[in-house]
Amino acid sequence: MNDILVTMHEELAQALQRKPDERRWAMLIDLRKCVGCHACTIACVSENKLPPKMHYRPVYEYEQGKYPKVSRTFLPRPCMQCDKPPCVDACPVKGEATWKETKGIGAGTVPIDYAKCIGCGKCVPACPYGARTMDEGKFHSEGTPAIQKYETMPSFEYGKQWPRSGKNQPIGNARKCHFCVHRLANGMLPQCITTCVGRAGYFGDENDPKSLIAQVKKANKVQILKAGKGTAPRVYYVSNDKLETLYR
Amino acid sequence: MNNLKKTKDKEEQSGLSRRDFLQKTALAGCAALAASQLDFAHMLIARVEAGELTAAEAYELMKAENTLYTVCLNCNTGCGIKVKVLDGVAVKIDGNPYNPFTLNPHLPMKEDLNYAAKLDSGICPKGQAGHQGAYDPYRISRVLKRAGKRGEGKWQAIPFDQAISEIVNGGLLFKQVPGEESRQVAGLKEIFALKDAKVYEEMGKDVAALRKKKTPEEKLAAIAEFKVKHAANLDKLIDPEHPDFGPKNNQFVYMWGRKKGGRADFAKRFTEQFGTANTHGHTTVCQGSLYFASKALSEQYVGDTFKDGQKFYWQADQENSEYIMFVGANLFDANYGPSNRSPRITQRLADGKLKITVLDPRFSKLASKANRWVPVLPGTDAAFANGAARWILENKRFDAKYLGNANKAAATAGKETTWCNAAWLIKLDKEGKPASLLRASDIGLKDKETRKDKDGKEFTFEYLVAMQGGKPVPFDPNDEKEAVVGDLFVTAELTAQDGKKVKVKSGLQVLLDTVREKSIAEYAAICGIEAKVIEEVAKEFTSYGKKACVDMHRGPAQHTNGFYNISALYALNLLIGNFDWKGGMIVASTFNTDGTKTEAQPFNFKKITPKSPKAFGLSIIRHDAKYEESTIFDKDKYPAKRNWWPLSSDVYEEIIPSCADAYPYPIKALFSYCGAPTYSLPAGHTQIEALVNLERIPLYFASDITIGVTTVYADYIFPDLHYLERWEMQGSHPNMPVKVQPIRQPVIQSPNEIVTVFGEQQPISYEAVWLALAEKLGLPGFGPNGFGEGQPLTRPDDFYIRMVANVATDGKEPVADAQAAEIELFTKSRRHLPKNVFDVDRWKAIAGASFAKVVHVLNRGGRFETQENSYKGDQVANKWGKYINLYQEKTAKCKDAFTGKHYLGMAKYMPIVDCLDRPPTEQSKGYDLHMITQKDVRMTKSRTITQQYLNDSTGENGIVIHTSDAKRLGLKTGDQVKVISATNAEGSWNLQNGKKKPMVGKVQVTETIRPGIITILHGQGHWATGAVDQTIDGKVIKGDPRRAMGINANAAMWVDSHLKNTCMIDKVGGSVSFYDTKVKLVKV
Repeated sequence: MNDILVTMHEELAQALQRKPDERRWAMLIDLRKCVGCHACTIACVSENKLPPKMHYRPVYEYEQGKYPKVSRTFLPRPCMQCDKPPCVDACPVKGEATWKETKGIGAGTVPIDYAKCIGCGKCVPACPYGARTMDEGKFHSEGTPAIQKYETMPSFEYGKQWPRSGKNQPIGNARKCHFCVHRLANGMLPQCITTCVGRAGYFGDENDPKSLIAQVKKANKVQILKAGKGTAPRVYYVSNDKLETLYR
Repeated sequence: MNNLKKTKDKEEQSGLSRRDFLQKTALAGCAALAASQLDFAHMLIARVEAGELTAAEAYELMKAENTLYTVCLNCNTGCGIKVKVLDGVAVKIDGNPYNPFTLNPHLPMKEDLNYAAKLDSGICPKGQAGHQGAYDPYRISRVLKRAGKRGEGKWQAIPFDQAISEIVNGGLLFKQVPGEESRQVAGLKEIFALKDAKVYEEMGKDVAALRKKKTPEEKLAAIAEFKVKHAANLDKLIDPEHPDFGPKNNQFVYMWGRKKGGRADFAKRFTEQFGTANTHGHTTVCQGSLYFASKALSEQYVGDTFKDGQKFYWQADQENSEYIMFVGANLFDANYGPSNRSPRITQRLADGKLKITVLDPRFSKLASKANRWVPVLPGTDAAFANGAARWILENKRFDAKYLGNANKAAATAGKETTWCNAAWLIKLDKEGKPASLLRASDIGLKDKETRKDKDGKEFTFEYLVAMQGGKPVPFDPNDEKEAVVGDLFVTAELTAQDGKKVKVKSGLQVLLDTVREKSIAEYAAICGIEAKVIEEVAKEFTSYGKKACVDMHRGPAQHTNGFYNISALYALNLLIGNFDWKGGMIVASTFNTDGTKTEAQPFNFKKITPKSPKAFGLSIIRHDAKYEESTIFDKDKYPAKRNWWPLSSDVYEEIIPSCADAYPYPIKALFSYCGAPTYSLPAGHTQIEALVNLERIPLYFASDITIGVTTVYADYIFPDLHYLERWEMQGSHPNMPVKVQPIRQPVIQSPNEIVTVFGEQQPISYEAVWLALAEKLGLPGFGPNGFGEGQPLTRPDDFYIRMVANVATDGKEPVADAQAAEIELFTKSRRHLPKNVFDVDRWKAIAGASFAKVVHVLNRGGRFETQENSYKGDQVANKWGKYINLYQEKTAKCKDAFTGKHYLGMAKYMPIVDCLDRPPTEQSKGYDLHMITQKDVRMTKSRTITQQYLNDSTGENGIVIHTSDAKRLGLKTGDQVKVISATNAEGSWNLQNGKKKPMVGKVQVTETIRPGIITILHGQGHWATGAVDQTIDGKVIKGDPRRAMGINANAAMWVDSHLKNTCMIDKVGGSVSFYDTKVKLVKV
């Protein structure tokens, strides 16, 4: 038996050989296995060079019950890459700054073109999941004797390089999770999936019925967040809790 | 001196005055970000835009040439990491897929490096943030010398050579500090008094003999005799009236916090040549009583006594267990550790294939995944264990076959690899209490024998006795041929040779009688739970054969009764005989580094290390020594001033306060490495008070990467290398079935000043300090001929490349040779490292014929056995394979230095007490809350505060309290409260520099903790490490308030009422009392 990281890594190589319109990238998070370690949150911050207080994938913690009959639930929340994304509708730069991608490696995701984004911030409140944040250009080592070089080195979002300094993009832009499309392009799983110590995260082409994610989805009752919003998310959850009561 | 001059010349040429130079560079991160540093990034983006690079090519982080494998040290789990380096900067860290701590099963060593570069494996958030520790703007890069009072935060950056000279030569080192104008400081040269190895040996032998004298008169006579015999060398002793204090060399005390193999060996090479008995680690602040109870459990019967116990412990083979009872262990937040243990259990937990019970007053993350949460009261673990043992014994749910095996032959016949003394006979003392094991000669059953050990040395062997069908039978516990199986429940009276009656019981009978001292209902009441819970858990635990475990950690260990808690819990594992079984309790297993394992290993360190004098005399913490045998016992009697530790070592809380008490003798110099005792220890404020005592700690120098919460009190701080910049042999942990040796190696350049030691340029490091001190003192084993004629030890790689070669060649088969392409990649991926760190020709010369194997290992961050080879049938491949003590004779023979009472050979629940066995009744009055502490996976004790990714995610810690307590006290989430206790009524840290840090934090109300208990997360509330302003060369370096946030309430933890300058302690196992204090919250 392989570690599921290896299984999904190998499946990814196969999925990349399929055509974008045959593929359906999806993520599944099994909350029974999420141990609330926040490694996904931090790995994403580091990979994508996120400024202070910006988390593409926070992990929310919930407590329920009365002592001694209590429970704790950890809920990682990436961008849902909605098939009906309200953020896209809210963007005044219609279809150019942010859109539902149909082409290429990132087909199915909701990307942002930092060059086209005007930084108006209208998409931020439009997202029912709070998945978008404005980049105000802050640094983690701000307020210390010196800004450190690792923070100014480029991130590789969307397969480009974004050195962080001055008013360089994405400073001033809205930012969000993109399923690490720059990693997918290179046959690597999203960062939050690879560093999940509980192995709660699944990623792959759910159109492939043999893929691990498709099998886990089939074997379990899955939930989506805020189903009532009609956003058609591409992130599924397996949980013993009713998530609609936890995540409002 | 030459070097100093060179620097000066260069400065004069550049027109930069020394003062300017120092101000600019004393802090590593102080240099302003140069515009040129952005060039690399700009160049890349330009190339992408110009279409020269495709998007795929631009993802530089997936390339093997930008990937280096090493080992994390943001906590001691030491997971394998893969560091992605761009333009010399570590920009991203992920898991090393070759290392079983991050992938299960891990990639075999033969897997291609290009494949591995693209396969990231799982590490925890601390590992992910590790590079922020290396690029901490508050790191120091030059030696800092105290320019004000200790702890005042005033420093002068001085040349490395000057610092080494001053420490070695001593003198009026701080004459510029008001009040210290005439304070003469002894240097190491003066402390390094006794050098003659022969005198060492003679004196050592005589001291050992003197300690064995039975009466005060005999002892005095022996001292007089000693003084006559050693008249010529008495001036080299600390106190000729007390030869057992040892030589003046013992007045150099070296202590450390987090240190692993390799660095440990490096230091030992120095301290052994220096001849000091004072080298002490930090084990007791973590889980000391777990280690030392396990040491007691692992003592082996050799000749006629017990010895060779190992400082180690067992954990569960969690990937194959079907049931685990975790006691005070939270493997999703700590517990060696989230990255390796979680992926081995989460799916099986979700599928119901593994059931777990969690004993913890706090509903931990682990408890949230458990089938059963048992919120026992803190410090009552042994009561639970005793109750469960009683139920198991009375309901015959134990493995009688396992327990009956009295020796190795019997165990082997029963397919067991371990055995215990459940069937051995134990003599009872006059009061009917179990004492020593019965020797066959005691009852004339079989005579002593003279045997020879493997070196041909003669020793006396005594047979032990088991009962078979009511008839005593002699046996040798290590006999591999004649199997002896004994009766399990024996209470009998035998006749000694002199005709006297000898009352005996079997080991299991002693356990039964011990646990029957209380009813299960009484045990449950102590734990604060229902009796049926103990019964149900005991039943569950005994329902899975050998695939069940009791896995424990800090929780039960860090109490005044820690040693007995641990021993009582391990007894449950013995009752089902789960050791070495798949799914049972297992041990760690590592590839050897010092070359003493196989003939194929090229560098046997025993052979390439000059013989050193054998240090003798008491250590400042009085470990490995019995009080009654010392020369101060006869005068002082009971209670002793401080504790003695016949069974434990590395008693962290004892080091500095013992120096302050000059007990048993005054010290002259203290060197601390990578530790924060003031911050991490309970009642840490007492450690601060001791550190500012100039008379009792005349010289204190330290190795640290920042001005830390302890090193802020030092006289000199030497900048160390961050873990991404240095070498270490990480070793393993007992939850890892795979044999490993993860190797930490430099993957980025250090910001530290380059200095010359033994003529070799190198960044200042921990090793450079030892090397320079050795150079100045002329210690053998270091320098151009350190490893033998023409074999230098003048820099770290001389030492560590040899160790890597040994790792590569250990075992039945060595690793494969790296082929040409891999060797090329090896060099290419290190292209950013300066020659003073990495030089392929130098490394080749050091490794010799093993070079290609060294490359193979370093290219993968260590050596790892395959997953398949980690099991053999139903057992693990890497076995304990030895005897285990259910009843601890050695422990029973030791006495409590305060009461003179014997320790317990059979563990049982003991209430929380101070040194004099007084329950803390008085100091509890009026303090209504029981304080414990906890870890979060995002924080290690003192060192993660430098990493803002982590702080940002964790947020400010607080005081976690149950809803009912909050309601009773009128508190709500967010309220600011102060934590006070009977021994810190003011509720603050006295920093001894005119400042106080109040223990104030925010209330966090929850249902997930037992009412009456509060918990506080470790890692925040700093008063240094960049948290506050420091002045270097007259320039103020502003602190970062984010690092001062939150609360550390360790100073509220009880100070022992007898010791008065130390927290409460476990007198047997050494652990500090972390979870026993009662406190009160006062609204601010």
